[in-house]
Amino acid sequence: MGTRQGASIKKLGLVLGCTLCLHAQTPVVLGTAGTFGVLAGSTVTNTGTTVISGNLGVSPGLAVTGFPPGFVTGTQFTGVTSLAGTAQNDLTTAYLNAQGRSCPVLNLPGDIGGMTLLPGVYCNSSTSLGITGTVTLNGNGDPNAVFIFQIGTALTTASNSNVHLIGGAQASNVFWQVGSSATVGTGSVFNGIILAQASITLTTGAVFNGRALARTGAVTLDSNLMTNPDTSTPPGSVPAPPSLILVVAGLAIATLYLKREQLLARFRRT
Amino acid sequence: MTRTRRAYIVLTAAALALCYASTLRGMFEQWSIDEDMSHGFVVPIVVLWIVWRERGRWQALPAEPSGWGLALLAAGAGMQILAAFGGGLFAASVAFLVSVAGAVLYLGGFVYLRAWAFPFLLALFMLPKLAIVYSQVTFPLQLLASRIAAAMLGAVGVAVVREGNILDVAGHRVSVQEACNGVRYLLTLAFIAVVYAYLADAKPWMRFALLAVVAPIAIFANALRVAASGLVPALDAGTPHAVAGYLVFVLCVAILILMRGLFHAVYARYHA
Repeated sequence: MGTRQGASIKKLGLVLGCTLCLHAQTPVVLGTAGTFGVLAGSTVTNTGTTVISGNLGVSPGLAVTGFPPGFVTGTQFTGVTSLAGTAQNDLTTAYLNAQGRSCPVLNLPGDIGGMTLLPGVYCNSSTSLGITGTVTLNGNGDPNAVFIFQIGTALTTASNSNVHLIGGAQASNVFWQVGSSATVGTGSVFNGIILAQASITLTTGAVFNGRALARTGAVTLDSNLMTNPDTSTPPGSVPAPPSLILVVAGLAIATLYLKREQLLARFRRT
Repeated sequence: MTRTRRAYIVLTAAALALCYASTLRGMFEQWSIDEDMSHGFVVPIVVLWIVWRERGRWQALPAEPSGWGLALLAAGAGMQILAAFGGGLFAASVAFLVSVAGAVLYLGGFVYLRAWAFPFLLALFMLPKLAIVYSQVTFPLQLLASRIAAAMLGAVGVAVVREGNILDVAGHRVSVQEACNGVRYLLTLAFIAVVYAYLADAKPWMRFALLAVVAPIAIFANALRVAASGLVPALDAGTPHAVAGYLVFVLCVAILILMRGLFHAVYARYHA
């Protein structure tokens, strides 16, 4: 009886412990790296009409190619003395912070496609992690819910896979700490911030709502749409000017056009 | 014109103003508060200017008072009563125009009504929005503007995600809301098209031809404005946003002028 009671208490402790691990996380602080849509250690290479929301940076490397045709809504920074250098330092701090978060007993399988996960820290310390199909991250109604994935080696998503956010989960609170390199598959939709030790590759047409932050290697892009994960701000609206001013302006233009010859003749005389 | 006849006209105008004072006040208020309808202030001025401009033509006409004018006045009064019992400002405004037409018919006859037909048609632009129609077209127009704007951005190689009436261009989100639906461009451009055709061309069909091209021009221009705001975040608000709105409208007017030139050239070619 006592043994069974002890086992139950252990299970209860484990569940409570895991529950605490799953729910008590705070976001990883990105510092200046949080202003970058793309940050690389060596190079940033783009093909096609990629659009990057935020800054683009390389440090300690200097090479950025493919802009244009790529488009950056922010500013490009290169070299250790630029903001990219500071951001790399902040990225290192953030990477170590994410890597150091204590992980509960739960270990992820090699492929999390088809799973629905609640907020918390998930680790996969020894192998690579794949996403085939859709993985759903459920914020459980909490807009501040934090998801941290600690991946020992590579993160690879299959073509047309999807990291789907529900229940108030926000891309700005999803952190993918990748031990080596991350590859987002063709046509995939990815949500979250990738903190990669080496390189990050977004293949053709991948839509990326988040930040691609690579410590030492390259970031390679190909016709991607990279949106800002901080989408909590309401979209701006674009009302047309008041109709009174439009009509007055339009009538003035039409009248000027009709009277143009008389006006020109008067102008020539003077 | 005899003094008695002039007195009749002044008294009739005063009576109409008195009977429809609340309606006129309601129209004035709507022009003041609704930015889609603020062009209403300009419409009566233009209408009266056209009547004055055409005075040589209609003053030469013989007055042939018609009893049908009383029927129209009665119809106007009936509509005004219905409006008072819940028909709303639109019905009351239509009643006002019908009554004015009735007065013209009663005092001047069909020749005057025909001579003033164009100013009367132009006066329709000062009528308030018909809520039932407006609410039906608003959302489809919002979606249409969003769809065309997204297509425009895609055509120039800019990746854009459209969710209904919201465009997401690299994290910069633009919402095509009710005030962005293009109705404002549509109404104002239609008014300008008709007035411009009247000033520039003696052919009455030109007014209808230009009216026909207004809708595609206005819808295209509104979508262009939305696309520009999506591409350049600075155009979202403040002075740059207003300037972009005016520039696009100037483009619309320029296209309208070009279209009139084109129609005229085609007409001249086949009637040379």
